[in-house]
Amino acid sequence: MSLPALPLPREGEFPFDPPPEYAVLRERAPVLRVACPTGLTAWLVSDYAGVREVLGDGRRFTARPGQVAHVLQAFRPDDPVDGQFSRMDGPEHIRIRRNFAPQLSHARRLGELRPLVEQITEEAVDRLLASPQPAELHLGFSQWITTAVIAELIGVPADQRHLLHDAATALFATSTTAAELEQALAPLYGYLYGLVGVRRAQPGDDVLSRMIVHSSGGDRPLTDDELVTMNAALLIAGFDTTASLLSYGLVAMLTTPGQWAKLCADPGLAPSAAEELVRYLGVGTGLLRQATEDTEVNGCRIRAGDFVVAAVQSANRDPALHPDGDRLDVTRTPGAHLGFGHGAHTCVGQQIARMELVTVLRALAVRVPTLRLAVPLRDIVFKQDSVVRGPAELPVAWG
Amino acid sequence: MRISVDRDLCIGAGNCAMTAPAVFDQDPAEAVVILLDESPPDDQRAAVELAVDRCPAAVIRLLP
Repeated sequence: MSLPALPLPREGEFPFDPPPEYAVLRERAPVLRVACPTGLTAWLVSDYAGVREVLGDGRRFTARPGQVAHVLQAFRPDDPVDGQFSRMDGPEHIRIRRNFAPQLSHARRLGELRPLVEQITEEAVDRLLASPQPAELHLGFSQWITTAVIAELIGVPADQRHLLHDAATALFATSTTAAELEQALAPLYGYLYGLVGVRRAQPGDDVLSRMIVHSSGGDRPLTDDELVTMNAALLIAGFDTTASLLSYGLVAMLTTPGQWAKLCADPGLAPSAAEELVRYLGVGTGLLRQATEDTEVNGCRIRAGDFVVAAVQSANRDPALHPDGDRLDVTRTPGAHLGFGHGAHTCVGQQIARMELVTVLRALAVRVPTLRLAVPLRDIVFKQDSVVRGPAELPVAWG
Repeated sequence: MRISVDRDLCIGAGNCAMTAPAVFDQDPAEAVVILLDESPPDDQRAAVELAVDRCPAAVIRLLP
């Protein structure tokens, strides 16, 4: 008997929800053996407690196979880790995180970065309001903002920012092969090696320079390879995931009765709206782990070496987190959702992403409260060949 | 209410300092958690419990 296939997002049928199979699985079989599109066989964990347990315990469940190797064929679980911090465990991984954290997730540092995010956002809204209608919001607005923010943070000039976009397109595409990915990443990596050299010689106030200076005072300074890998990850993940969530979230708010109106009536709701959108829409394809020992989840035996897919979006809809979790509610006091992941590998850029989402939602609610989709929801085309879910294009109008 | 933190496993995500800033801070060098108040007043309980739930590395413990 063949295994059931891993249920993946089907936005054509269910624009904002995980496939309905998940509600049944959470109820009846919160751990189930499934076949993944890349050929892996894995245990699918779909409930809140189970997903939190798997992602939260890096000792029993290693990230080594790669976070999305169950849906991206370019990543093979047995490939050498080769400096990819998203596949490291334990102290090696913590060392890298502690070089990220002071630049990206320190409360005071974020306060220093806020004016940059606000300035870029205001400029983007100015550009939007000056453009003809209908306007395309995903590439022309969401992605424009998140690209400018991450590129400014690291100090990548405007004429090199296409390198991020090319790399992200290849990295997140399910159909990219390992060889194609290596080729697609080469220009960005080449550029970053040069940039590391420049910043080592003459540090500035950007994230890359600050990482160099910060780590050179420690007992194991970051190598060029590590700096390039870390900053490439920030640049690639830093614009596409946030922009996609923003565009996706806007579609959801604009088409769920009352939600956009509530935010416009009280733009102070932007922080809870941002958090709610991450809970509601985040990580539809789930995250991959591998058991390091014979263990159990929800009473189901999992053997050392078995793969486990943590169904994050399903977990965030579990009534155990919010009794009405399938409802989008921008006024909700957000609980401990798993939309940025959980455990030691939780999204390294989540505080910057939050700041961007909050700033942009507030700015749109204040300055463009008449924002609306320019086409019916059924005509919005969602990205298919990407693990980063959201609309491929977002035509909007206002006024 | 008494609290302990495990700084060795902290990844500096910053959720605690943003959720309960009266109780948690981060050191400037590595953004690792600093416990400002080991036994905060009861009016901090809700914020502290949310900080515990939101800590991705599970390094904050509420002691009995």
